[in-house]
Amino acid sequence: MARLHRVSIYSSILISIYLLVLFEVLPIPLLDANVAQEILPVIPWWLLVSFGSYSLWSLGWGVFTFRDCPEAYHELLREINEAKNDLRSRAVTVD
Amino acid sequence: MQGQYNTPNTHKYSVILPTYNERKNLPIIIWLLAKVFEEHQLSWEIIIVDDASPDGTQEVAIELARAYGEDKILLKPRAGKLGLGTAYIHGLDFCTGDFVIIMDADFSHHPKFIPQFIRLQQAHNLDIVTGTRYRSTSTPYLAEAQPGGVHGWDLKRKLVSRGANFLAATVLNPGVSDLTGSFRLYRLPVLRHIITLTQSRGYVFQMEMMVRARALGYTVGEVPITFVDRIFGESKLGADEVVGYAKGVWQLFQSV
Repeated sequence: MARLHRVSIYSSILISIYLLVLFEVLPIPLLDANVAQEILPVIPWWLLVSFGSYSLWSLGWGVFTFRDCPEAYHELLREINEAKNDLRSRAVTVD
Repeated sequence: MQGQYNTPNTHKYSVILPTYNERKNLPIIIWLLAKVFEEHQLSWEIIIVDDASPDGTQEVAIELARAYGEDKILLKPRAGKLGLGTAYIHGLDFCTGDFVIIMDADFSHHPKFIPQFIRLQQAHNLDIVTGTRYRSTSTPYLAEAQPGGVHGWDLKRKLVSRGANFLAATVLNPGVSDLTGSFRLYRLPVLRHIITLTQSRGYVFQMEMMVRARALGYTVGEVPITFVDRIFGESKLGADEVVGYAKGVWQLFQSV
């Protein structure tokens, strides 16, 4: 089963449960009905905003911690020179 | 017995190098690879799959074969520019090693990391080891791993890279930190199996191989690598590539 199908099935189940609870077809056992009716309509927006803030944080942190490696660049340039000299002595055309 | 060294590592490592117009870079990358393999006393071979380069890449490859040995440098040319995936398939037909390393020939991947890949693979009996530019430690733990990084990317490029990775990680949950990386060590039968299943082309091909490998249950480890991008010239990323990437991620989401 592809990932798309798995995700679709799980989200359909969760969305159906959510809609049933929202339209008061299913009761929530321990929560007062008034409180539930205030919280439930907001849940999708809360999920969206939470995902948005997580994404933003993740991107910002990722860019902040992205390492530069100038030493690797200089080491590579040195090695290229060394390689060229060695290869010329072995009868290989370089550059 | 594959190697002539008195070492505990008796595996043979094949490197498949697809080339197109790499006459300048090829000798140096071969020199670096040979140096690393000889220093660590590993049995090796390099298979150069050249797509009919007009600049004389094949002539240089023949000279290198003469310098290093015809059994070590194998030139397996093709008639035209046929793409990366088929280049690997073509190269796999000539592999006599039991592990395959794939990498770029333009110095963005440095062969000095190969011994770390091998050590990690042996320590945990992994099927695949991939290089990651985004981590500073390896998974599973390897004491000699140095932090990864990139040279030659400005802030915008870094942001695009992180964004692309975040998108792929959220949609596909691949379990590796660098999904588009193409510096990898594979067990030969694992690579053969995965490559027959992969359908995409371009860099989405590399992503698909990793995602399929994970879906099939192969074990994957990561080693941080330093990536020196475009040592001669600037790195460019166009809008077309971004759209193509998003399409590739969506296709993988649908098919794996």
